[in-house]
Formats: sequence, structure tokens, C-alpha cells
Amino acid sequence: MISYDHFVLDNGLKVYVHKDTSTPIAAVNICYNVGSRDETEDKTGFAHLFEHLMFGGSRNIPSYDTPLQKVGGENNAFTSPDITNYYITLPAVNLETAFWLESDRMMALSFDPQVLEVQQKVVIEEFKQRYLNQPYGDVWLKLRPLAYKNHPYRWATIGKEIAHIEDAKLDDVRDFFYKHYLPNNATMVVAGNVSTEQVKQLCKKWFEPIPAGKLTTRNLPQEVRQTEARFLETEAKVPLNALYKTWHTPARHAQDFNAVDLLSDVFGRSKSSRLYTKLVKEKPLFNTINAYVTASLDPGLFVVQGNLNQGVSLEEGEAAVNEVLADLLSNPIQEEELTKVKNQAESTLVFSEMELLNRAMNLAFAANAGNVEYANQESDKIQAVTTDAVAKQATTILRPENCSTMYYRSVN
Amino acid sequence: MTLDRTLMPDFQAVKQINIPQLEIRTLSNGIPLYIINAGEQPVLKIELSFDAGAWYDTQNGISMFTAKMLCEGTSKRTSQEISEYFDQFGAFSENGHGLDRANLTVYSLSKHLHKVLPMVQEILNDATFPENEVENFKNIQLQTLRVNQEKSAFVAGQVLRKNIFGVNHPYGNYLTEEAIAEISRQHILDFYQQNWQGKTFRIFLSGKVSAQDIELVETFLGKEKFTKQSHNQSLTNSFFSEKSILIEKTKAMQSSIRLGKVMMRRTDPDYFKMLLLNEVFGGYFGSRLMKNIREEKGLTYGISSNVAPFAQAGYFIVGTDVKKANTQQTLDEIHKEITILQTKLVPADELQTVKNYMAGSFAGSLGTPFDIADRYKVVVGEKLSLDFYEQYIPKILEVTDIDILEAANKYLQIDSLTEVVVGGK
Repeated sequence: MISYDHFVLDNGLKVYVHKDTSTPIAAVNICYNVGSRDETEDKTGFAHLFEHLMFGGSRNIPSYDTPLQKVGGENNAFTSPDITNYYITLPAVNLETAFWLESDRMMALSFDPQVLEVQQKVVIEEFKQRYLNQPYGDVWLKLRPLAYKNHPYRWATIGKEIAHIEDAKLDDVRDFFYKHYLPNNATMVVAGNVSTEQVKQLCKKWFEPIPAGKLTTRNLPQEVRQTEARFLETEAKVPLNALYKTWHTPARHAQDFNAVDLLSDVFGRSKSSRLYTKLVKEKPLFNTINAYVTASLDPGLFVVQGNLNQGVSLEEGEAAVNEVLADLLSNPIQEEELTKVKNQAESTLVFSEMELLNRAMNLAFAANAGNVEYANQESDKIQAVTTDAVAKQATTILRPENCSTMYYRSVN
Repeated sequence: MTLDRTLMPDFQAVKQINIPQLEIRTLSNGIPLYIINAGEQPVLKIELSFDAGAWYDTQNGISMFTAKMLCEGTSKRTSQEISEYFDQFGAFSENGHGLDRANLTVYSLSKHLHKVLPMVQEILNDATFPENEVENFKNIQLQTLRVNQEKSAFVAGQVLRKNIFGVNHPYGNYLTEEAIAEISRQHILDFYQQNWQGKTFRIFLSGKVSAQDIELVETFLGKEKFTKQSHNQSLTNSFFSEKSILIEKTKAMQSSIRLGKVMMRRTDPDYFKMLLLNEVFGGYFGSRLMKNIREEKGLTYGISSNVAPFAQAGYFIVGTDVKKANTQQTLDEIHKEITILQTKLVPADELQTVKNYMAGSFAGSLGTPFDIADRYKVVVGEKLSLDFYEQYIPKILEVTDIDILEAANKYLQIDSLTEVVVGGK
């Protein structure tokens, strides 16, 4: 259980305070409700590029990082298809520095053309380093547009192509900022050795003067039900053939999500999972194999991915995966197998709450998704899943016509 | 009164932190048990640490194979049954292997410790390394190696270590296809019998530790007799260095650049001077390398330097990935930054920032009992003074601008650095 106090500022900024006096540290997490799903098709990669610009100085503070380092703080950020999340950990005695820095960049950036120019180059090198100059690095650049036809999840957060990042203009930056970086589009969590009263005072001083902005209602094109199996074959200079299969699933906080999540655990979470046991151990066709769900806020994907052993064809590998999946009908999930994956999920949850910053993030993500209590309901939701519910999800989701398959062929 | 947002709020530098004390016990059979009791979550990590890392290799890769394959079977259970056993309680086993030490580690909810320990005991006493599992594991290692060989950053790191330590040195050696092919079940069994089975080890127990947990550890690991390993470390430290290595990759879009040399251990009187020098140079996001090469010139997504000390020796490394055409420019800029550190004192303001940052991030790195236990593991494993990390912040604060300039001249002579480029120039 993560305890918290809650209040909302006049400008709409949602604030949560999680007190933990056992640490000399405080964590400040600000989650902006904007991700790469909010981009337009011809300007992809922008939410992530923008995250880089948030470190390029704000209206009154030329450097974001240096003052924070000076007070012994650390920070980072990440962008996903759903959110852009910024976080700081620092000695709790210096909490006000975090408020000073975060409020100034929520108010206005420096909009310095030099910063844009340098960060475009940095992001392009990131694009190459992580997605292009890396074996299997471009998998999701190819898989997303196969699995999604309408929803903006069809492009990767880094962007569809380098040209989109090169083309970004300062006007785009300004528009994006005033559209999305608003107090009423953000959730702040302050955690650690702090008091609610202190956080309230600091919020009043630093964040309350920031005017609310006009929020645009998100109206994203949704996927239509997939009715035909999809297939893509691609090749690259990699040592092993790789197989990817995806199926559409419910969204992260939809009713059936936890059953689907546990279903993916049954198939491919650990070394005792069905896919690993059958296809790595019993009949070594695969070098690695996993199953997981993407857990996105709009409907996501159930993914099976594996690298095949040398000499095993993609066709043979896929047939074997399909066989293990189909075997669920004749070999349904028993109570013991379900208890195992529940215990694994419960244990992961408890371990994740050891870190102060993780607790702050769990609260922020839940509140951003619409209900802070999601963070504390997870354990009960996992325990409530029945073998019948998992079986039902298996039939609903793992249908051939709901599936996209990619062969990633190894060539020399 | 309007708020002046240009003014930074008052702040305090971290001068000292309280680290939970290490509790040291000895089990009835003489095995030392080190305990960090902290945190609110009902979880435990139990780590059995053996002197069985790469340093003790009798053939390339053997210590890694032995450590990683411990859970692949006992005379009572198959690999699958062992995984199944831990998984049913939501426990995770992790077989760590490093340059000096190797370990068998299990993470578990406290309530399952009594179920987890008998299995730990079984694996420790009775690992069998079944033939089919050895073959399967060799195959997985081989293919993983082939994937890694395609990553220029991976290759650059390996080649650098090989060239600064020498190929016969356990820190310079790395796994090859030939080495994998050579390993047999018998080799693994021999290594296991010499270094693991019935041999002494240290236990690190961290998390929310109760008296009952300690009792359980005593019951399952405190009764049997263990004997000391007898190591014959015969490999020579043939430090040699080819100064500049270029591995051409015509199709690569970027070059992976690594520069490095052999560096001191934590016990060296200059260790903290070197840490400060490294931090200013490339140790954090605000470092000179990051400012110059990423934030001013946009040549890279990231550049960093690092001091990596181990039990027997250490090394220093600078690493970055850049567009091929910018390789030489990046190298020139790295050299330029070294020269500045050798000739100009670090300005007071910058030094203050670096010290505060190091102190604050050190305090922030001790957030969980597991983090704290990991620090003490180094203290115990490298026989450092028990207050090494108590003294960490005061030692950082002591270092002066002159110390840093001297260290830059003593340790970062440009011609003493080995340069590796994978990609192109």
C-alpha cells in the first residue's frame, strides 16, 4: 500500500504527497499527459525530441542541470507512447530547488534556436545508436505499423524516420509546449522525507502562479477490430532468425487486463513458462523466447518474441509456437499454474515498492491514467483473476485473425 | 511581492549520511553472515558469495559456466523443476558472476524464506550439471555471443580490456566461440568441486530481517562443514598495450569509441582524487565531456568516463558512440579536455557542484537494503575498512583543485591511453 495525501491547485495541477521519513531523500515526479500517440503522422518523434528540449533552459533559469547538481540532486526523464515523465531525486532538505526548477520550465521554456539545433543532432545520434546501429534495433519500427493501422501507436516514440526530427521547427516547439505542457495537464508526486503542509506551501509559491491553459480533448483514431492475419517478412544482418507475433489486447486499466497479463506470464514470463519449457528446454528450437503485454493506456498488444537457434527455420519456429499456444485448449491452466504466476506478479509488485522513486511513479502513472487508487488496487486485481477468466482471454485474444506475425530473417 | 524566479533557493550541501550498520555474525560452522536490516517491505535477498569469479578461471569461461549453470539440475530435480520450485513462491534466483566473485542469490518474500532455503542448500551441495543442459547452455551462449559480436559497443569494450590487461589476464580475457566449444561437463564439475561444493562462502542477508530469518539461515546453512578453497592462481599479469586499434565496420552508421588504461584499486591513496577527476571529466551529466561533445556540439547521444576498481586491479574507461565522420573530431575533443585538466585548476564553483552532486547521489544510491548490502559486499570482498562508505563523503569533500590537476598529470597522460574504434575514422 502506498499512502498519500492529495490536493489540486487552482490552475488544475494535481498534487500527491507520499511521506516516508526513513530516508534523507525526496523524489519529485511530474508526469505530463502527452506522449507520441499525441503526435501527427507527419511530425513523429516530436514528444521525445521535446523532452530533450525541456533540459535546455527555461525562461528564468539558463541551465536546468547545473543548479540541481549543485544541491546534490539527480534527474532524468522518459517518453512513451502515452506519457512524458520527469523525475528528480535530491536531499530532502533541498526540496525547494526542485520546485524552483520544475515550475519555471512548466511556465515557459527559453525557446532558444541553438538548443533545438543541438538536440536535433543528439536525438538523431540516439536514433542511430539505439535503433539503427544495433542488431534487432529496428524491430519495433517495423512491427508497430504492422500491428496498428489507425492508432498513433503505429509509429515508435523515437519517430518514424530521422527526417521528421530534422524537420522540426521552433514554431512547432512553441505550439507543442502551450498545447500540452500545462499545469492542468500534469500530475505531480512529491515523496520522501517531506510533509504535506510543506509541499502545499511550496506549491503555492512556485506552481500556483502558472496560468492554466486550454486543454484539447484527445480524440485519437482507434483501431478497428482486426479480421485477417497479417504477415511481414524482413531481413537484416543479424546472427539469428527472430520471430515476432502480436495480438490486440484490452487497455492497461480495462476490466480484463490482469487476466491477459497473467496469460502472457503463463506462456512466457520465466524459465518455467510454457514456451520456455517446451521450446528452449524440451525441444531446443529457440535461443530465447518471451511473452508479455505492452500495457499501454489505449488497447495494447500481447507479444511473443524469440530468437531461433541456428539451423531452425522461421516456419518451423512459428509452427512450434502456434502449437504451444493451441495446446492451452487441451491442456488448460490449472489452479497451481495460475497461483504460480500470481505469486510472481505479487512479488514483483512488492519488490517494486522498495524504491521511493518507484512508489512516486506508481502513484503518478495511476493518477495520470484517471485514478490514483489503481496503484493500490493492483494486488487485489491480480488475486481476483480466475482460471476461467484466463482461459476466456486466451480464446478471445489468441485468434489467428487477431494476429500479426513478423519474420526477421538473418542474412550475411 | 513578486517572486524572483531567477534566484536559486537556499540549499545545504550533504556533509555526512547515516548508513545502517552491518551486523556481522558467524554461523555454528564458521560461515560468516552479514546482515543489513532495513526497509519496510517484507522482502529478503540472500546472497551466497564465493571466491569463484573470472579471476579464478582455470580455462577461459569456466567460472562463468559453473556459476550460471548451478540451478540447472541436482540429483533430485531437473532444471525445470528447480525453476518451477522458485517460481511457485514468486522467488527469483540469480546466479551472479563477476571478475572476482560469483554468487548464488535468491530474492524472496520473507514469508517464503523457509521454503526457499532448502532449495538453496540442495543446489549448493548437489548441483549435477546434466549433460543435455550443458549442451543447451553452450548453444545459447554461442548464439548470444554471435549477437553481441554484432554490437560495436560490446566489441569495443572487449577489445579495450584485452589490450590494457593482456589476453592472459583474467580481466582482459573474454569468451570466444573456441572457448565455449572447449568446455565440457567434466570441466564444470571439476571447477564446481574445487570452488563451490563444500567450500566456504559469505552470506549477505538484506531486507526486513527478523530473528526468525536468521534462525532459518542457521538451520539450513550453518550446520555442514565447509573447507577453504585452495586456489593456485597461476596466470601472469602480462600487461601490454597496443595503443591504437581500429576495427573497420563498413556498414556501421556510427563508431564506438573507447579509451582506457589500467587504474588503481579502492585502497590506493589517490583513489578519491581519481574519482573527483573522473567526475569532472566525464562522470556525470554535467561533466566536461558531456557539455562539450553532446550539449555544445551534438556529436553524440552520450559520452562518459568511469573508474572501475576491482579486487585485484582496476581500469579507467571513456566511451561514446558517434557518427563515423565525427570520430576524429571527437577524439581530438577528448584529448583537449584532458589537456585542460592537466594545465588549469578546476574552478571553485565547478568543484563545489561536483562534490555536492557526488555526495547527494551517493546518499540517493542507498535507497534499499539491497543497495546497502551491495556496498558492504565490496567492503568485505576487497577487505576494505568497515567504515569505507561512512568515510566516503568526507573523503570526497577533502579533495582539492590541486589534487585533481596532479591526478590528471599522473594518471591521464594521453599517450598512456589505449584507443579503440569500432566503425571507422
